[in-house]
Amino acid sequence: MSFVSNATGAFYERSLGQMNGLRGSLERLQTQISTGVRLERGSEDPAAASRLRTLARTERLSEVQEDNADKLARDLTEAGDEVLGVANLLSRARELAIRAANDTTGESGRTAIAEELAQLELELFDRANASTLTGEPLFAGTAAGPAFVRAADGTVTYNGNTDIASVPVAPGTELERGVPGSQVFQFNVNGTPTSAFEVLSSLSAALQPGTANPGAAAQAAIEGLDAAIDTTTRNQTVLGTRLAWVEVIQDQQTNRALSVDEQQSDLGDTDLGKAVARLQQTLTALEASQASFTRVANLTLFNAL
Amino acid sequence: MSGNMFQIARTGAAAARASLELTAQNIANSANPDYARRSLESRELVGLSLSGNGVLNGVRILGISRNDSAVVQRQARNSASELARADAELGALRDTELALEQSALFEGLVEFEAVLTQLEGNPLEPALRTNALETARQLASTFRFANNTLGTARQQVQESAAVSLDEVNRQATELARINQSLTNAREGTAGQAALLDARDAALRALSEEVGIDVEFDSRGAASVRLSGASAAPLVDGISSNALTSTLAADGTIDFALAGSVVAPTSGALAGQAAALEAKADYQSQLDAIAADTISRANTAQTSGADQTGAAGQPLFTGTGAGDIELALTSGTQLATAPAGSPAGSSNIGNLSALVASIGADDGPVASTDRLLLGLSSRIAAQDVTRSGLAAIADNAQATLLSETGVDLDTEAANLVRLQQAFEANARVLQVAGDVFDTILGLR
Repeated sequence: MSFVSNATGAFYERSLGQMNGLRGSLERLQTQISTGVRLERGSEDPAAASRLRTLARTERLSEVQEDNADKLARDLTEAGDEVLGVANLLSRARELAIRAANDTTGESGRTAIAEELAQLELELFDRANASTLTGEPLFAGTAAGPAFVRAADGTVTYNGNTDIASVPVAPGTELERGVPGSQVFQFNVNGTPTSAFEVLSSLSAALQPGTANPGAAAQAAIEGLDAAIDTTTRNQTVLGTRLAWVEVIQDQQTNRALSVDEQQSDLGDTDLGKAVARLQQTLTALEASQASFTRVANLTLFNAL
Repeated sequence: MSGNMFQIARTGAAAARASLELTAQNIANSANPDYARRSLESRELVGLSLSGNGVLNGVRILGISRNDSAVVQRQARNSASELARADAELGALRDTELALEQSALFEGLVEFEAVLTQLEGNPLEPALRTNALETARQLASTFRFANNTLGTARQQVQESAAVSLDEVNRQATELARINQSLTNAREGTAGQAALLDARDAALRALSEEVGIDVEFDSRGAASVRLSGASAAPLVDGISSNALTSTLAADGTIDFALAGSVVAPTSGALAGQAAALEAKADYQSQLDAIAADTISRANTAQTSGADQTGAAGQPLFTGTGAGDIELALTSGTQLATAPAGSPAGSSNIGNLSALVASIGADDGPVASTDRLLLGLSSRIAAQDVTRSGLAAIADNAQATLLSETGVDLDTEAANLVRLQQAFEANARVLQVAGDVFDTILGLR
């Protein structure tokens, strides 16, 4: 007793299901267009969502690494400036030593030179204890500072350490923040360890009035000053090279940030042209099925009775 | 002879009228999803005469026949069961995804990693230290938030499982009652057809909640077993057994029928049970990530020295996502330098070890990404399965409707046809009367 019929309920159910489906995809497209985001949930495209997470992490870490690189560049510039000052200061000291070594320079001239050398030594001490904008010593390694301390008898000793912290500035790239003071201001002359402070203060002392043979002492000090200038110049080069490297890395960071942005946009952003075209297509389909639904629904024999 | 004509026309008019009434009933119920189309069964009525020739007596109404197809009904039920399972599981998994994605756990971990990296650039800056500490506090609260939302999602599934279970037991009791009435109902009556409608509706409602195997006896009474289970029947004749559930400590749910354990294979209950198991799994993964974060941070802290040169103290307390708390009170307590460093050291050896440990391939950031990827891949796969099942279920439903549903065009045609039949029978009556009058008028 079973025969197949065109059940009215089945027709309504089917039409409703089709129109609901169309309306659902319309709403998704509309959300995509109005938010500009293609993926609302990870499950819509698990692989792309995971990739987006990784990119977001890279982006966030890059921001921080850029900050670190900026800070590092500032620190290196400051250290470079100080070391440049030290180099100038030592050249001036060398000129003075040469002048003091000259026999034509009289005692009063040597006293003035001794005075200037003492002042230069004070300036050198200040520069050696310079700190960054955030208050950390530039030349103390990782120690809390100050980098150099002066004892009651006037001798200057290194108070820092030889550790240098490395700053992460790019994925897998860490740069040393500076150079330790012991490397800039301490050196050997003829196998004897000494420091720029010692060279300056002993020369200044040797030129005081009443000291025997100041000319020879000044002559002898030139060797020490040469060594000090050498050391300083070497460190200037080290700092300059490192700064150049930071600038290269900053350039790379900008490029990488652009590429990360591009990938994020490719993966996660709505392709507006495509989405609008699809929206129009779906709208047309929905309108057509609504129109045909009303027409077919009106096709009933009861209208003819 | 003309007496028989009266009889024939009377039965014919009555049968046409009964059919018309049924047509009206069909039209009235055309929007009722539980209603199966009725039609009238009738047979020619022939009496025996003494001469051995048949005497024509008109038509006899046999009863109301209800359009029914057990096979199609079963197909519709089973596919609806499967779809309900997929829907329940998918819905619950989507809630889990929402809970884990919206808690922004991944972003929290990345932010923690980022502020620590920033601290590496300037380890003694008090603002950065405080920022790192507050980000750690935020991370702990993010873990707890993720834990809570996951817990809420789990509770919702448990509640809807309880609702489903109530529905199963209610429908089972209802079915037993219908079975009782069916055994008492007379064959071919409108009452029996209505009971069969109610029986199919109850079976359909039951199969939405749990997959069932159904057998019918000669009177149409249904006995129901959970599909795939050989345990006690859910409904047997006029008696029904109660389905019960117990919640385990990890939030998963187990079912028992008449005291013995059963595992539904389809229906909403099966989906909810599967979802609860998945949630327990994700909960333990979340706890593992929290425990990993705690242990990595604390290991790094305790193997370093803080800003005052003192040995580092643990960063977090707790054992999982539910009870993770920040333990430190001040940014100076962050052990950025290796153990044994003096106060104020800007050595970042220990901090670098922590950053590397957090961002490692087996670290919490990567584990969280894997957790989210696993979850969303599972949902994407389930979604595909679900659309397949939905197509099958829609198809089965459409087939069922075209087998049992009311077609208004057919009914309209029937109206015309039956009206004509009724008028024709009335005409026969009139002719019989005329014939009789003609004979009486003979003079």
